[in-house]
Amino acid sequence: MSVTAADVILRLANIESAYGPIRAIRGVSLQVERGRIGTVLGSNGAGKSTILKTISGIIDPRKGTVEFAGEDITAHDPAVVVQRGLSHVPEGREVFPLLSVHDNLMMGAYTRRDRDAVGRDLEAVYGYFPILRERSRQEAGLLSGGQQQMLSISRALMAAPQMILLDEPSLGLSPRLTREIFEIVIRINRERGTTLLVVEQNANMALNVADYGYVLENGRIVMEDTCARLREKDDIKEFYLGMKQAGARGERRWKKKKTWR
Amino acid sequence: MNGLWNVDKLQPRLDVVVPGETMTAVFWNAAAQRNQQVFMRQKQLGLWQEWTWARIAAAVREIGDGLLSLGFGPGDTASILANTVIDWVLADLAVLSAGGVSNGIYPTDAAAQVEYLCADSRTRVVFVEDDEQLDKVLSVREQLPRLEKIVVFDTEGLRDFRDARVISLAELRELGRAHAWAHPRQLDERIAGCRPEDMAILVYTSGTTGKPKGAMHSHAGIVFTIRGYNTIVAQDEHDERMCFLPLCHIAERLGGEYFAVYTGSVLNFVENPETVPENVREIAPTVFTAVPRIWEKFYSSVTISIRESSRLQQAAYAWGLSVGQRIADRVLAGESVGAALKLQFFLARKLALDNVRKLIGIDRARFCVTGAAPISPDLVRWYLALGVPMVEVWGMTESCGAATYTPAARIKPGMIGPACPYNEVRLDPDTNELLIRGSNVFMGYLNQPQKTAEVIDAEGWLHTGDVGTQDGDGYFRITDRMKDIIITAGGKNVTPSELENELKFSPYITDAVVIGDRRAYLTAIVMIDLENVEKFAQDRDIPFSNYASLTRAQPVKDLVWAEIERVNARFARVEQIKKFCLLETQLSAEDEELTPTMKLKRKLVETKYADRIEAMYRA
Repeated sequence: MSVTAADVILRLANIESAYGPIRAIRGVSLQVERGRIGTVLGSNGAGKSTILKTISGIIDPRKGTVEFAGEDITAHDPAVVVQRGLSHVPEGREVFPLLSVHDNLMMGAYTRRDRDAVGRDLEAVYGYFPILRERSRQEAGLLSGGQQQMLSISRALMAAPQMILLDEPSLGLSPRLTREIFEIVIRINRERGTTLLVVEQNANMALNVADYGYVLENGRIVMEDTCARLREKDDIKEFYLGMKQAGARGERRWKKKKTWR
Repeated sequence: MNGLWNVDKLQPRLDVVVPGETMTAVFWNAAAQRNQQVFMRQKQLGLWQEWTWARIAAAVREIGDGLLSLGFGPGDTASILANTVIDWVLADLAVLSAGGVSNGIYPTDAAAQVEYLCADSRTRVVFVEDDEQLDKVLSVREQLPRLEKIVVFDTEGLRDFRDARVISLAELRELGRAHAWAHPRQLDERIAGCRPEDMAILVYTSGTTGKPKGAMHSHAGIVFTIRGYNTIVAQDEHDERMCFLPLCHIAERLGGEYFAVYTGSVLNFVENPETVPENVREIAPTVFTAVPRIWEKFYSSVTISIRESSRLQQAAYAWGLSVGQRIADRVLAGESVGAALKLQFFLARKLALDNVRKLIGIDRARFCVTGAAPISPDLVRWYLALGVPMVEVWGMTESCGAATYTPAARIKPGMIGPACPYNEVRLDPDTNELLIRGSNVFMGYLNQPQKTAEVIDAEGWLHTGDVGTQDGDGYFRITDRMKDIIITAGGKNVTPSELENELKFSPYITDAVVIGDRRAYLTAIVMIDLENVEKFAQDRDIPFSNYASLTRAQPVKDLVWAEIERVNARFARVEQIKKFCLLETQLSAEDEELTPTMKLKRKLVETKYADRIEAMYRA
C-alpha cells in the first residue's frame, strides 16, 4: 500500500501469538488506513480471531508490535486499549445476559466521563438499531442472536471508538440479517468515520463491504490487495467465493493447488 | 562398521541376473524367479502394504489381457498420466507385455500439453490417475481422434460418472480376465513376439525450446542399459529403494523401475510428492537415487536445524563433520585412513553424524546416487563427510540415463567421472562437446528424423550438447550446456551453471539463472527458498505479509546479496555477479518456468522476465 504513515491508524508488524506451544499466528504484518474498512479472510483456525485478540490486548504477542494511532499499544491492558479508542466486538457476541439491554450499552461507556456525549451516542445507537430501544428494559439474554449481535456492536460504539474490531459478525445469522448488520456497519463507517477491521468467514460479504483485504492461512498472510482486486483472483474465487469451473464432466471433486497470486 | 575407506561392498555385478532380451521377457522371467518375494510397497490408508512378485504379475497379466480385449495391437501406444504409484508400473509393464509402446506424461502437465503428447505419440489408450487427470484428458479428447479408451486408476468421486470411453482399472482387469478365458494364450504370444529391436518406451524431453520431442527407446537398449547399471551401482533383492521421482522421467523409469525389475530390489512408493521427507525416514532406503534438488533440500533442512540446536550439539556436529571431512579428503586423495582417524569417526558417528543421517533417512544407505542435473561439489563433500558414498552419474534421456559415473572408491567432486564400462564417451576435438556411443543410445525422436540426425552423427555418436574437459584419469568435467555459455560484451566466456550451482548450495536459494550474454556484466535472477527465508525474516522481525513482500524486504535482498558475494569471491572479477533480482511469485511444478524436476528454464526465464533483466542493465 502506498500510503503515508499518517493515514495508517493501525499497524501490526511481525506479530506472533501462541496458545502455549501452538503458534496461532506466525509473523503477521498488516495495516488499516484511517476511516477505511479492512478485512482479514481465512478459514476456521487460520488465526483470524487471534489477530484481533492480540490487537486489543487480550493476548500478549510473543513477538512483534501493534501500533494504534501512532502509539505502541503492544500487550497493553485491554481497558487501556479501549480508552485509547479501540473497541473489540468479540466472536459470539458475549453480551451480559442478565443485564438489561440498556445496562449492557452503558457497560460499553464504562470508561467514559463525558455524560452528555454518552447520551448522544446512546441516541445514535438506538437510531442505528431501533429494536434495541424497544427492548431496552429486557434482559440481553432474551434477545435473538441477531439482536445480540446488534447489541454487541452498539456496546462497542458506546465507547466512542476511533476504530472497531469486528469478529465474525455473521456467525450464526441468517443471510438477510447478515446483510442488514453489514449495512449498518457501512453506515457507521461512513457517518461516524469509524475505522473498522472485520474478520469474516463470509468472504463474499466481507469483500463487498471492505476496502482492503488480507487472506490468512495457517497463521500467515498469503495474499493482500484491494477487495476489488481480490474478488478477481482465481484462488479467492475458488476457495473463498465457491465459484469453481465445473470442468469437463460438469462436476469436480478435486481441488486445484492454491498459488496465491 | 563401514566407512568411506571401505567400499568393497560396492562390487559390480557382471553376470546376467535375470535372462531376457526384451524388457517384457526380463519382467516375466524375474516374476517366475522371485514369485513370493516382495517387490513393492505402497501405503494404503496410512499402512504399508506389500506386493509380491506373484501379485504384481497377476495384475499385469489382467491389465495386459484387458488391453488385448480393447484391440490394442503390437506397436500401439498407451500413455500414462499419473503420479508415481504402483498402478503406474502395472500399466507400464502391461503395455509392454501387450507388445505396445508405453509413454509417460507428467501429472503436472496442463491439458494442452497432454493433448500434444497424446497426438504426437498416437496414443490409443491413456491411463489416468484420478478425476483430476481425467478432467484434463476429457477437456481435449475431441481433438484426439485416435484416443479410444481412458482408464482411471482411482475412481473416487466418479461414482455417478458414465462415459462409454472411460473405464476404471478394475473394469479393465475384469475385461482382461474374461478375455484370458476366451483367448488363454494370446498374451503369452504377444510377450514371446516382442523383439529386442522394437520400440518399448517413449520419453518426452522437457523441451525448453520448442515442442517436446519423444525419445524412442528399444527393448534392446533398455535391457543393455539396466545390465550395465549393475556394473556401476550394483543392487539386489536385499536392497530397499524409494520410488518417488516422476516415472515419465528417464531417471526413475530406468534407474528406479526397470533396474529394480531386473535386480529385484524393493520399490517403496511415497504417498505423494509432498511427503518425501517423512517417507525417506520411514523407508530408510539402502540405495537412494535422487536429483540434486532433493539433496540440497536435505542439506538445508539439516543446516537450519543445527542452527536451532544447542551450543553443545552444534560443537558435536562441527567436530563430527570435520572428522568426516578429513576421512573424505584422504579417501578422495587415494590415501589410506589410519586407525586413530577411524576411531574418531566411530565416535563422531555415535555423537552426531548418525543422528544427521537418521534425520535425513539415509542411515541405512549403502550409497546414494545423484544425477539429472549438476550438483555442487561442496554438497557431494558434505555427504561424503557423513560417510555416505555419493555417486554422481551423468547422462541424458537420449542415452537411457547414466553414461558416465564416479566410482565410489574414487570420487572426484565436481567431476562426473569416466565413461560407464558399457558405453564410449569422448570429447569432440573441435567443440569439446561430450559425445556418447553405445547400445544405450536411443533410436531417435519420434516423427522428427531431422532432429534425430542433428544429435546422432554418421558414426553413431550422440551429441549431448554438454561441453567439458577430460583429465588424465579419464574423468570428465562438464563446464556447461553448449547453448548456455555466456560470452560477455568484454568477450569473456562464462559458464553460468558453475555460478548457479554454487548459488543453489545456499539454504536460502532454491534456484538461480545467471544472465550476461553480450552484456557488460553478469546478473542473476534468483528464486528464494520460501521456508528458510521466511524463518530468517521471522527470526529478525522483518515485516512481510505474502511471498512478494518477502522478496521485496531489504534485509532479504541483503541476505541474498551476501550469499551471492560469498559465491562471487571464488570467481574472477569478470565472472562475478554484479546485480540480481528476486522472483516475486512462488513457482510450482505446474508453472511453465519450471521443468517437472523443478529446475528453472533458462530461455523461458530470460524472455518472461526480460523487463526485469533490462532494468538490471540500466544505469
